[in-house]
Amino acid sequence: MKKIIVMFALLVGFSAFSFNVKDSISAFTFQRLAMMEDFDCDACGCSASGGSMGFGSMLNNNFVGLRYLKQSYTSRDGIFANSPWIDENFNTIQVWARIPVTEKIQISALVPYHINERKLTAGTEDISGLGDITVMALYTVFETKKDSTFFTHKINLGGGVKIPTGKFTEANNLGSVNQSFQLGTGSWDFPLISEYVIKHKNLGLNTTMNYIFKTENSKNYQYGDQFNYAGTFFYLFDLKSVQIVPQAGLAGELYQTNKQHNLDLPNTAGDILFGKFGIEAGKDKFSIGINAMLPINQNLSNGNMEANYRWSVNLNYTL
Amino acid sequence: MKNTLYKALAIVAISITLGSCSSDDSSNDVSGKGKIILEFDNAYGTNDLILNTQPNKTSNNEILKISMVKYIVSNVVLTKADGTTFTYPKSKSYFIADEASAEGREFELSDVPAGDYVKVKFGIGVDEEQWKLGASGQGDLLAQADDAEMFWSWAAGYKFLAFEGTFTSPTVTTATSFMVHTGKTGTDYNYTEVTLDLPTKALVRTTITPEVHLITDVSKIIDGTNKIKLSDNNAGGMGAMIMGGANLPLITQNVSGMFRVDHVHND
Repeated sequence: MKKIIVMFALLVGFSAFSFNVKDSISAFTFQRLAMMEDFDCDACGCSASGGSMGFGSMLNNNFVGLRYLKQSYTSRDGIFANSPWIDENFNTIQVWARIPVTEKIQISALVPYHINERKLTAGTEDISGLGDITVMALYTVFETKKDSTFFTHKINLGGGVKIPTGKFTEANNLGSVNQSFQLGTGSWDFPLISEYVIKHKNLGLNTTMNYIFKTENSKNYQYGDQFNYAGTFFYLFDLKSVQIVPQAGLAGELYQTNKQHNLDLPNTAGDILFGKFGIEAGKDKFSIGINAMLPINQNLSNGNMEANYRWSVNLNYTL
Repeated sequence: MKNTLYKALAIVAISITLGSCSSDDSSNDVSGKGKIILEFDNAYGTNDLILNTQPNKTSNNEILKISMVKYIVSNVVLTKADGTTFTYPKSKSYFIADEASAEGREFELSDVPAGDYVKVKFGIGVDEEQWKLGASGQGDLLAQADDAEMFWSWAAGYKFLAFEGTFTSPTVTTATSFMVHTGKTGTDYNYTEVTLDLPTKALVRTTITPEVHLITDVSKIIDGTNKIKLSDNNAGGMGAMIMGGANLPLITQNVSGMFRVDHVHND
């Protein structure tokens, strides 16, 4: 934990020294979308806030955006073979912004609002409210400068903090249903991020990995650490007035076991692999994107939970 | 632009300060007394038990529709991680589990010394020592058992387990009632004890009441280590009544193996 804080402090330190902000005028960013999904939605980790960070845009521009995300799950309400399966729908509306601080450092912030429901046997339960706000900084470690090379490369590393602004309600985790029916983890969590982009002309591959350290919350509940990875191919069609970027790839999530009073909670670990595809279109200062994720393989909560699909739509405005 | 940046930095600074504080875990204070709940959740095999309507099949191809499951839980002993034990006071240590009522599913033990418990032991039935105290020594137990129809007569004693319903089988094609009642017989006392490890420590604290979620697989009563066919006990087609004889020790042995702890909630 200390290492993360130190590293993060360094990043912040860097940025504090360089205020000569250069506002890029690039029309809009594509690669944000490529990065969004894997950071986003947590099946087990409940920070369903995690959020579309878009920290890895290859164009250093500023923007604010609005995004709607829908996640559908089916969970077993009970511990028996004949326990009923119930539907869970997680809706998230989020505002996010990205600010380049220097040529190499960018800061992202994400503010989610959740509207979640689950159709328990005893009746439908709803929760809604502000989720966990995430602030992150990303540092460009390496970037191919010349356009003449066959491939261009870019490597970004970063870290951040997820602030427990979303309400964690202990009672929602009673019983043996999905332990992620919450607005937030209730804990201070710390993501570490890495991103690698390789491009040849208009075709590119974006690879991201991130690890989220989660801490114990005030109710002595601790969500398991989470590892996300994704690889996304994208292609830029530049039609002068309009730009269109189709993209497709794979995204996976691994969850460690949750703990309560430092004791492992059974059936809370899991993993899932998604196929993802989407398209983004941009014109002038606006861009609009649609994205979907469908599970290929999953083992969540020891088979007591299934992700059905996720989709999102977003609108961004370049500042 | 700069404003936004300052705000972002401020948030980061604050979060580092707060995030690095160690949180106080309420489980660190191991003093005083608390409570613990033993939840008895009846199942048939891997399915939750549903009374009256759900057909349940035995390995002898008999189909049971179960209308009643009751048993007396007694003499609870909890073992801490360090090996020391806490014996729940005998006068409070009898509980009648009953699938048909909410009160019959959760046995709440109070005034339990705070500690990390790793094992639970309990009896099924009323121990012989208690019975030998005579009718005057039974306290509330006698009246409670009588109300629950878990008592025959003073001479015949308590029913330790009552398992009733109807069944059909390849040879008994119309639904026929069955009753399995265990208790003492002339030759066997038939009280049995069960010791179970907890998969997660139960943290009894003044602020934490752990709930030990036990699953009682009632299929084991006649279809456990010992297999007993109801059809063989259906004398004259009047229903299978197993309340004594050589089958009771076999059923008692089955009963001692029908419990497991699924999980523990430390809420």
